[in-house]
Amino acid sequence: MENMANKVARIPNLVDWSTGEVRLMSAKCGSCNTYFFPKEHYQHRPGCSREGVENVLLPNKGKLASYTVQYYPCPAPFKTDNKITPYGIALVEFEKEKIQVTGIITDTDLKSLKIGMEMETTILEMFTNEEKQQVVTWAFRAVK
Amino acid sequence: MRDVYIIGTGIHPWMGFSEKVFADFAAVAVDGALKDANVEWKRIQAIMAGIFIYGGNAGHLSGQYLESIFGETGIPVVNVYNACATGSASLRMAYNSVAAGETDTALAFGADVSPKGFLTAKSDNAVQDRDVIRWKMGGLPNPIYWALECRKRMEKYDTTEEDLALVKVLMSEYGAKNPLARFKKTYTLEEVLKSAYVCDPLRLYEICPVSTGAAAVIVTADKELISKADKPVKINATTMGSAIYGDPTIRISALSCPSVPEAPMLSESYSASRQAYEKSGIGPEDIDVLELPDNSSWHYLVYLETCGFCKEGEADKMLRDGETKIGGKLPVNPSGGFSSHGEALSAQALWQVIECANQLRGRCGERQVANPKIAMAQTYGLMGNSGTTIMSL
Repeated sequence: MENMANKVARIPNLVDWSTGEVRLMSAKCGSCNTYFFPKEHYQHRPGCSREGVENVLLPNKGKLASYTVQYYPCPAPFKTDNKITPYGIALVEFEKEKIQVTGIITDTDLKSLKIGMEMETTILEMFTNEEKQQVVTWAFRAVK
Repeated sequence: MRDVYIIGTGIHPWMGFSEKVFADFAAVAVDGALKDANVEWKRIQAIMAGIFIYGGNAGHLSGQYLESIFGETGIPVVNVYNACATGSASLRMAYNSVAAGETDTALAFGADVSPKGFLTAKSDNAVQDRDVIRWKMGGLPNPIYWALECRKRMEKYDTTEEDLALVKVLMSEYGAKNPLARFKKTYTLEEVLKSAYVCDPLRLYEICPVSTGAAAVIVTADKELISKADKPVKINATTMGSAIYGDPTIRISALSCPSVPEAPMLSESYSASRQAYEKSGIGPEDIDVLELPDNSSWHYLVYLETCGFCKEGEADKMLRDGETKIGGKLPVNPSGGFSSHGEALSAQALWQVIECANQLRGRCGERQVANPKIAMAQTYGLMGNSGTTIMSL
């Protein structure tokens, strides 16, 4: 993994790199076994006691369930120092957790995208903040 | 519950950004509805108003602002927001008030002035407002959600780019015949297929923009008002649905969805339509004209399936075979749809109901469907909002 020092997520509690891999911060309900992302956005099964929700990290790798290429810049408050448009958006499936998550596609030939291909979670540098930190978001890329 | 009839409708024609205030647009629509119903303002016993979310105090209390224009009479005024199904919510409240006997005559209205440019997050609290994350970090304008679902559909069924373009061709043909539509230019299949991708497989002409517009509906159970109305339209059912756990759709604003379906996709609309079929005793096979929410060409196809007009994966064939044309087995969006209008959030569901009522009342000129007896308006709003209204002569 690249050097993650001096990098900060634009919004906290979404993406983690403390384990040596970049992983999305999810939560799992101990009662209805549903995984949530973001972790505060509960989606319990009706009738669930909602007991035993614990923070978990999603695996680093999943499969591409769908994708698109966006040809127009995303409007503010989205911002990046470098031009990223056109950019890909992936819907990546984490099979065991039964959840699909969206994310920007980076470091991947957009013409090579194919549903079912293996993707890994990574980060995308968005811009440098006033403290000279690299502000990042989570992203996905094709496994090489 | 009493029978409830639509006796008056009014629309401010759909248009782009305007410097005028939303209440001016609302007043045009409400004035139109009062004149159509031949009813004096003082006979209105309740106002169910759609909230205009970009209008600050005025938009959140749109009913009070509207009431003061026509004259305050002390009646209940309730303001409601259900995203793009807001109009469904206001009509349903007006219907329920009259059907239950709380009031005899009620007004539902909505007006929206398009903000300049894109719709984005309206707060800065990422913990409670998932819109903040998708705009700040996700890079996810609305059409991306539809493109992700459209790609899944194309992988699963034989939906082609020509099918998506054909929807626009058909909608532009009808929009050109609708004096109230915003976009009146017709397009050929080649022109649509040459338009730029916004987010592939969806192209510029296959996605609707945001618009300015206003719509108002007066409903009543008052026998005197019904008898003097021009072709009153009975509301057989007007329902709302929310999403069902296990719906695999990646919903606008969300950053995740279930990968193992335990409910139909677009379950909020599945739910609203099935409630309407059950309450009215009318099924999809009985509908003579349908207005559905074609926010994109994908919606046009999937909504035929969600609402039970064909099985999953069969909508493309209905389209190709001409079944959804005016003159076909099920005329769909003779108004020109959202494709020819654009979205005016709190007004659009009422506008769909009004198009259906106008079809039943034989008022649609060049785009008139031949002698329809039963019509259905289906809406769709982000985050699990939907409404269905079934009407008959």
